[in-house]
Amino acid sequence: MARTRWFVTSPLRLGAMLLLLCSAAPGAARAAESPPKVVQELADAVVAVLAEKGPTADQKREKVQTIVYAHFDFTTLSRLVLARNWKQLSPEQRQAFVEEFKRHLSMTYGKNVETYNNERAEVTGDRTEPGGDWTVKTKIVRPGAQDILVDYRLRQEEGGWKVIDVIIEGVSLVANFRSQFQEIMTGQGPQKLIDILHEKNERGEPLKTS
Amino acid sequence: MRMITPLIALVIASALGLGWLSPAPVAGASEPPANGNYDPLEGFNRKIFWFNDQVDTYMLVPVAKGWNTIAPTRVKTCLSNFFQNLRFPIVAGNNLLQAKPVATLSDIGRFLVNTTVGLAGFFDPATGMGLEQHNEDLGQTLGYWGMPPGPYLVLPFFGPSNPRDTVGLAGDSFSWVYPYFIDWIYTFSATGTDVVNARALALRDVERIKEASVDYYAAVRNGYQQRRDNLVHDRKGMSEEEQQDLYNVESNGGE
Repeated sequence: MARTRWFVTSPLRLGAMLLLLCSAAPGAARAAESPPKVVQELADAVVAVLAEKGPTADQKREKVQTIVYAHFDFTTLSRLVLARNWKQLSPEQRQAFVEEFKRHLSMTYGKNVETYNNERAEVTGDRTEPGGDWTVKTKIVRPGAQDILVDYRLRQEEGGWKVIDVIIEGVSLVANFRSQFQEIMTGQGPQKLIDILHEKNERGEPLKTS
Repeated sequence: MRMITPLIALVIASALGLGWLSPAPVAGASEPPANGNYDPLEGFNRKIFWFNDQVDTYMLVPVAKGWNTIAPTRVKTCLSNFFQNLRFPIVAGNNLLQAKPVATLSDIGRFLVNTTVGLAGFFDPATGMGLEQHNEDLGQTLGYWGMPPGPYLVLPFFGPSNPRDTVGLAGDSFSWVYPYFIDWIYTFSATGTDVVNARALALRDVERIKEASVDYYAAVRNGYQQRRDNLVHDRKGMSEEEQQDLYNVESNGGE
């Protein structure tokens, strides 16, 4: 039942998208922004904040966080990361996990604020994936160093296209965290995982795990 | 060079023994999962990983940090270009072994341009001419022709690997250019410089990965396997099954 829904909704989504595209009068264009445009805007907005001269690092970090929160779907991201283990979490634990994971990711992202060195991001291509998701390929251009290839995977939600995974040089963030959390989940259970994340976030620094 | 040979032999022997010569895994029991966290030697690997991390933290990083402070970025980039250029036989050779004539020719052109116009490889005018740097090695060649990577393996000093890539590493070592032309003492110093310089360029990245991970060992293991898989398949992206496994909320998250 749940499985079929996945396949049934994708043509519907596609249909809805086409409808939106066809009816896209100049004024209505914003509502149906295409994934490549969403990613380019996300990247430009982040780079603009990083390149600003005035604000302090903390202010910049907060701005970056706001942009990231608006473009990522952390609930879907969390569910994908926990995969089958998601079922083991109570509703409260799920909420706590999403919150801690979100904080953890945005903190990591925010670290770029201190080390920004005139990098910029370019969208280099995009493709639709089976199931209706969209992959947008970008590269981070760094002065005097090799480009870094970053792919974004987006899914259409009520508020438009949201990022559900970031793939850096072929390494998927979802797959990487899934493998990290897997061992903690099987060895110590969901509450321990939430506690570890919470502790790491509170410290705002690396946590040594044996 | 000669000193390292027994070590490599040992590594190959153990890799062969652990990987290929062991009986095929019983179906379902410890089948390598599609997304690759196949690590039956985890206990052993974690110990080596810890050892490598100690060597890195207390020996390599302090030197790399010192070098990072005194050397301007431009110098580090030039050195990195220089050593990258010397890897030409490995990159071009493996493109040839993978039956990619266009890429091989591009590598040869790149080497010629950077060695001459690029002043012995310290500069990289070739990239600007469309002759891009390729990332190839024997481990990728073996994977390209269908050899499975086998279980995850952490090598002392060399770090994350697997039996396939270990054999590749040993094979590639025959085409390192220095041993044929110069004394081992210079080879040794050159390799040292290469390692320290490369580590200096990666200081921030490694720190970031350590901070961003909850389980550093598992993060590196998974990252290595995903990245190698991606390189072997020349960035074609994930298969449909992998996507299904990774991105379908209904089938793997279920309410």
